[in-house]
Amino acid sequence: MNTVAFSSWNGKIVDNRTSGNGAGKTKKPAEGSCPVSLDGRSYDALMGWNGLVVVDPKTDVVALTLAYIEEARKLSCGECSVCMIGIDRVRDILQGLSAGKGSSQDITEIEDIVKGVMANSKCNFGRASALTPVLDSVKYFQDSFLEAGKTATAKKGAEKNFQSAVTAPCMKACPATLDIPGYIELIRNNKFKESLELVRERCILPGVIGRACTHPCESACVRKDMDGSLAIRLLKRAAADQDLQGGSALSVPKEEKKEKIAVIGAGPAGLAAAYHLRLLGYGVTIFEALPKGGGMAAVGIPDYRLPKDILNHEIDLIKRMGVDIRYSSKVDALNAADFQKQGYAAVFTAIGAHVGTKIGCKGEEIASDDVVQGADFLWGLSLGKKTKPVDRVVIIGGGNVALDCARNCLRLGFKSVEIVYRRSRVEMPGSKEEIEEALHEGVKLTYLTAPVGIVRKAGKVAAIECIKMKLGEPDESGRKRPIPVKGSEFSLKTDMVIAATGQKPDLGLLTGKDKGTLTTAWGTIKVDPVSYSTATARIFAGGDCVSGPATLIEALNMGNKAAKSIDSYLQGKTFVDELSFEGIDVDRQRDMGFVPPAKSEEVKFLDVAERLKGFAEVEGGFNADAAMKEAQRCLRCYRLMVWQ
Amino acid sequence: MAKMIINGHEIEAKAGATVLEEARKLNIDIPTLCYHKDLSSFGACRLCTVEVKIKGKWQLAASCQTEAAAGMEVRTDTDNVRESRKLAASLLYFRYPQTAVVRDMAAKLGVDVQAAADSRDCILCGLCTRTCHEIVGVDALKFKDRGLARDVEEPKIEFTPSTCIGCGSCAFVCPTGFVRMEAGDGKRIIWDKVFKMASCSACGRYFAPVEQLEFISRTTGVPVSQLMTCVSCR
Ligand SMILES: Cc1cc2nc3c(=O)[nH]c(=O)nc-3n(C[C@H](O)[C@H](O)[C@H](O)COP(=O)(O)OP(=O)(O)OC[C@H]3O[C@@H](n4cnc5c(N)ncnc54)[C@H](O)[C@@H]3O)c2cc1C
Ligand code: SF4
Ligand code: SF4
Ligand code: SF4
Ligand code: FES
Repeated sequence: MNTVAFSSWNGKIVDNRTSGNGAGKTKKPAEGSCPVSLDGRSYDALMGWNGLVVVDPKTDVVALTLAYIEEARKLSCGECSVCMIGIDRVRDILQGLSAGKGSSQDITEIEDIVKGVMANSKCNFGRASALTPVLDSVKYFQDSFLEAGKTATAKKGAEKNFQSAVTAPCMKACPATLDIPGYIELIRNNKFKESLELVRERCILPGVIGRACTHPCESACVRKDMDGSLAIRLLKRAAADQDLQGGSALSVPKEEKKEKIAVIGAGPAGLAAAYHLRLLGYGVTIFEALPKGGGMAAVGIPDYRLPKDILNHEIDLIKRMGVDIRYSSKVDALNAADFQKQGYAAVFTAIGAHVGTKIGCKGEEIASDDVVQGADFLWGLSLGKKTKPVDRVVIIGGGNVALDCARNCLRLGFKSVEIVYRRSRVEMPGSKEEIEEALHEGVKLTYLTAPVGIVRKAGKVAAIECIKMKLGEPDESGRKRPIPVKGSEFSLKTDMVIAATGQKPDLGLLTGKDKGTLTTAWGTIKVDPVSYSTATARIFAGGDCVSGPATLIEALNMGNKAAKSIDSYLQGKTFVDELSFEGIDVDRQRDMGFVPPAKSEEVKFLDVAERLKGFAEVEGGFNADAAMKEAQRCLRCYRLMVWQ
Repeated sequence: MAKMIINGHEIEAKAGATVLEEARKLNIDIPTLCYHKDLSSFGACRLCTVEVKIKGKWQLAASCQTEAAAGMEVRTDTDNVRESRKLAASLLYFRYPQTAVVRDMAAKLGVDVQAAADSRDCILCGLCTRTCHEIVGVDALKFKDRGLARDVEEPKIEFTPSTCIGCGSCAFVCPTGFVRMEAGDGKRIIWDKVFKMASCSACGRYFAPVEQLEFISRTTGVPVSQLMTCVSCR
């Protein structure tokens, strides 16, 4: 986009029109000051919470404004006196104008209402999005509105094709784009069951995600810098926990389809895809190598963070809607033709990333019980393998796997548990909460240290040789690169070493030419980023095996998307993803107004002494009343955009 | 105790009190339609608006939702406040032109109110839902939410007959008379549910719905038989 005819995005006026109010006042290129394209697609004009952008000067702004108001009306909850009634009143006036029954006084009234709604609405939808851009259209396109009756443009406009999309700062930050304000609002209104149903539309493991999600949404919450983010994750957990007593079933498919689909792996990605495909009416079979489902949520994330009855309950619901899960059924060869012969129209591969990467130090190549991979260690633990506690263990790595290993070791009775990480605390990829809890429980963290070699005595690990590091320039991951400090080698006594520096997918099941065409340089499966299809027809993939080790919700989301894409593929349609709002400043709004401070609800954590006795859940949840109270704090920051 | 200023008066606000409560203590008239002293604040009517000084700038705030804080400065009688209240009242009047409390409020706040027949509309003040949840402890009333991908044309209050105990608190608190409550013939009708009334074992007067007595019995553990006397005979 080189120029726009008009833009008021973020309140910055750019006006390149040759006629109209304020025409030609500012001749500035609008580059970078407003949405340039919508996921690569161009548009004629758009109206959003932050303003109005007109690319094609022939756009019918009156029709666009009316279309915007119609959509805004759907989003207004209608609970406060100004927002929804204000929208209705403005709509009435505009309809009068476009029927030729208006005057400039009407424009003044619209302006008064819009300003009143912006200043006095209860929630942030009313304040930021509901009518804000209407102010710009009536101000800068006044003539069009006053003449609308004569040209009857609005009537024609009703036939025009407008598209719309809704987001919120928290929704945009959520990998699965959950309707966060929506499910929080339902909790606020004491509708836990409806809230859970809404969550499940995009997150089929609400109790799991409500406990173990890395919650990027909370970092984007508008309340973050006021009085603290909403407890978005814990509210989801509250909705799921309330249901544990009642025990609702999942919705059943409306119609049955004849095609069957195979899913490889019952982790979050596989389960999400299976659920959505089943809901669409397909027969779904999941092949799972392990004797239980859940993937890393089952054999990675420890019980004290995620009690397994929660996970199993949620998997059970998916099974009960007719998904066939075959445990202990490892797929050794991913062969599209074989699957087709067995009657599967498509295959979704979601095998995760389970092979630990080498830490790259001397002595690690010798197989022994006292040098193990983090993922294997946790795996064994959750599958019932007995681990004898030793006095000292050193864990290499800085992510959640390292932290989970460490906290598990403490619970197993290991006396000294030390994590060795090559950068400093700020660069640690493990979540802040996890790091704090680990320290609190007694894990020792040693930063800026890398292992060089494992020292064995009489075949047993005796120590690990390390070297001190310093931080240099940021590398391609954006984190500062660790550089060894010459001559700073030292030795750490230990009885066991756990390597937790990362995992890769086990792509042993790729055969023939797939080995080359389906693998990326990073050892993951290569897919189309939108459709999750691979170079081989009928084979789709998603989750950690595509992204590399990531998070539960990212894996779930890929399962959600892949299911829709597989459906499109089988129905002979092109899969079009919803608008991502990528590159659009969703966190900005013109004016917030005053938000009465409200402290967030707190939850209880188990005492450290209690924790170390076993694997009991550490973090408490909200009861119904606390959840409803916390939900009251949500500002409902829905942002609407309508375009043509 | 927090020292704060309302309309130039320096006061000592009670811990946890709202600006609305403190202002009313000073006999400052602040219009409200959705506030009740025994219920949590809801912020729906937007009539209680005042101005609060935040970082040197006067901002509108719903006084029922704003906790009084040390050093806070509040104004309740500026043009901005008056206009904002008037706009809220005029929008309420636009939607509910026949409802008495709305008409009276609108007229009081300077809206030009026309004569019209009387009607008792629900203005979504949420007093009934909060009463049922917070005071009665029964969740028979909930908001029907509108919102993203939820096809609800008009917001409204949903009534769940199966949980309602017929206490009548909602009808009592409703400012518009929208909640239907009728009595007679040993029966009471609330919303659209018919309740059988219990008669007092001493005086024989119908005094409470049987379901309410059963509810009290369930929550207190007192057998229903011991609850069968009305307040005046107890
Ligand atoms: C210790 C640990 C802690 C973590 N903590 C968190 C956290 O707190 N929050 C968070 O968001 N994320 C966390 N993660 C990451 C998260 O668990 C993963 O990103 C997520 O589980 C990936 O989901 P997935 O479905 O892609 O793969 P997985 O969950 O790995 O599931 C893949 C499944 O496929 C099966 N499979 C593999 N190969 C075959 C085959 N050939 N045939 C049949 N089945 C096969 C596997 O057995 C497994 O069940 C953690 C990961 C680990 C290891
Ligand atoms: S206040 Fe609510 S809607 Fe707004 S960003 Fe936070 S969670 Fe999302
Ligand atoms: S009468 Fe029914 S709905 Fe009304 S407050 Fe009592 S229990 Fe709730
Ligand atoms: S029924 Fe009455 S009390 Fe309940 S929301 Fe409507 S007007 Fe308010
Ligand atoms: S009394 Fe404060 S918004 Fe109604």
